[in-house]
Amino acid sequence: MMLTEEEISALLLSLKVSLWCVAVTLPPGVLLGWVLARFQFAGKAVIEAVLHMPLVLPPVVIGYVLLLAFGANGWLGYWLAELFDIRVAFTWKGAAIASAVMGFPLMVRAVRLSMSLVDPRLELAASTLGAGRLRVFLTITLPLAAPGILTGAILSFARSLGEFGATITFVGNIEGETRTLPLALYTYTQTPGMDEPAVRLVLISLAVALVALVASEILGRRAESRLLGE
Amino acid sequence: MLSLDVDINRGRFRLEARVEFEEGVSGLFGRSGSGKSTLLNVIAGVIDPDRGRVVLDGETLFDSEKGLCVPSHRRRIGFVFQDSQLFPHYTVKGNLLYGWKQTPPRERRFKLDDVVDLLAIGHLLDSHPRRISGGEKQRVALGRALLASPRMLLLDEPLAALDQSLKEQILPFMRRVRDELGLPMVYVSHSLPEILYLTDQLTLIAGGRILGSGPLHTLLDAEQIRSEDRLGLDNSLAVTIESHDAEGGCTFGIFQGRRLALPFRSALMPGDRVYVSVHRTEVALGKSFVEGLSIQNQLPGRIVSIDSAGDSVQIVADVGVLLRAEITQRAYRDMALREGDAVNCLIKATSFSYLTLDEGDEKAARSLDRSVIEMTSQVH
Repeated sequence: MMLTEEEISALLLSLKVSLWCVAVTLPPGVLLGWVLARFQFAGKAVIEAVLHMPLVLPPVVIGYVLLLAFGANGWLGYWLAELFDIRVAFTWKGAAIASAVMGFPLMVRAVRLSMSLVDPRLELAASTLGAGRLRVFLTITLPLAAPGILTGAILSFARSLGEFGATITFVGNIEGETRTLPLALYTYTQTPGMDEPAVRLVLISLAVALVALVASEILGRRAESRLLGE
Repeated sequence: MLSLDVDINRGRFRLEARVEFEEGVSGLFGRSGSGKSTLLNVIAGVIDPDRGRVVLDGETLFDSEKGLCVPSHRRRIGFVFQDSQLFPHYTVKGNLLYGWKQTPPRERRFKLDDVVDLLAIGHLLDSHPRRISGGEKQRVALGRALLASPRMLLLDEPLAALDQSLKEQILPFMRRVRDELGLPMVYVSHSLPEILYLTDQLTLIAGGRILGSGPLHTLLDAEQIRSEDRLGLDNSLAVTIESHDAEGGCTFGIFQGRRLALPFRSALMPGDRVYVSVHRTEVALGKSFVEGLSIQNQLPGRIVSIDSAGDSVQIVADVGVLLRAEITQRAYRDMALREGDAVNCLIKATSFSYLTLDEGDEKAARSLDRSVIEMTSQVH
């Protein structure tokens, strides 16, 4: 099966967007997951509600809100362009932002769950052994929550690979810039006589998803057995 | 020396503790829910009291008035938990070295090899905590705490999760740590025999209050402590061993000038002080001295109080100390007992049980390799 240049470009773009999406959301996702798992504070419910918005809102809404915020006249977009000369609307960076927003709640939920399963008494034990807060977090909490963090990263990656609505609304469907696999597939389905390339994209999508899932399964098992000392 | 004067008020639970722990091993004894673990957490800096001061060797660790609180990781107070809390993602060796690595080299007091020898855990170093037994876990937890070079060691029911035979295997190690490292320790337990195996210096706690501190025999002199139901020390006696009658199957002890026949225990030496207790249902009453009886002990005294509410009757007799007897309503009626009556308290030798651990443990302790291990620097 030979892929056309267009299809290869869509595949590489999808991978690039998804990897950036995970890289950008991982640090804040881990931090927020930890805060939600370990602390009680006023306004926690509000944060959780806002966090879960992308799961319940139609993706088009998210995409449009992003467009309003990051567009040339949006306050974030204006600020980014003025200060750093970065333009995200209608670029692949915008596609990464769109999938990051959509995948963020999934990542935080997974991190939060795994962090809340780490026995706080292990952290206490580490602190009585002379470890400060940061060290406790880095040597006890983080490694023990690693399988959950990995799950969160995979979920976010997978969500990003499939992201469609928010992306097309926010950054459009520009070949070579924002036309990821789902967008390319959509384009083919809208064009008469393009069934064959459409099927090829379906197969590519299947292959990518399969590789990602198998890899996550293997990594997850490894992390777990290392943790439990088996 | 550690001194505490702290209050905690958490709704239904209140702790008001004013207590000092001297050098050496102090036992903190109380039933579950008495506040002993909370007190330990306050010392370790895990729980902040609402009010008060905690001072260790002249250094203030907590002072509510000055708004001072040294965080737990800077207190250098070792903590051994009931369920060891070993880090599952580290090997035994990694666990042992966790605190050691955080300690600046010049403040390190023990070497890994020495602690490993002391606790006999050399064969476990490469294992994961999951793969070792409960008793081994506690030894590793103890070693891990020691290697962090603490100024004092807190042990929170370290043997409570283990079965009896394992306890007996681990207690000698605790004694070794006591004898060879000279580290101040606070040992919390609801088991008096466990504490007495390590120390006679006790602090008694019930309902969030300290009831007294000192050697157990002086604590037992205080009627207010003996009558405290939540401690369960009623009918506990401090006895000095006098002699053995191996053929007669008993050991004689002296209690307040009276000779008591006790269960035979050859490991005890004449002159040893031991604690025995007898359950109140095992104390029978007679109106006068009874001849021709298999019961070996008859303690004459006088009835101080009678509580006949309930199915059985609680009688307190003064036989030098106050002894409690529980008899049936029927016996009470038949005997027509009244406050102030003279009675004899009848107790079988075998109804006494020793509060100190039995012979087997003593032997285990002695059979342990007693060779003194050279520590990098001796602690005092």
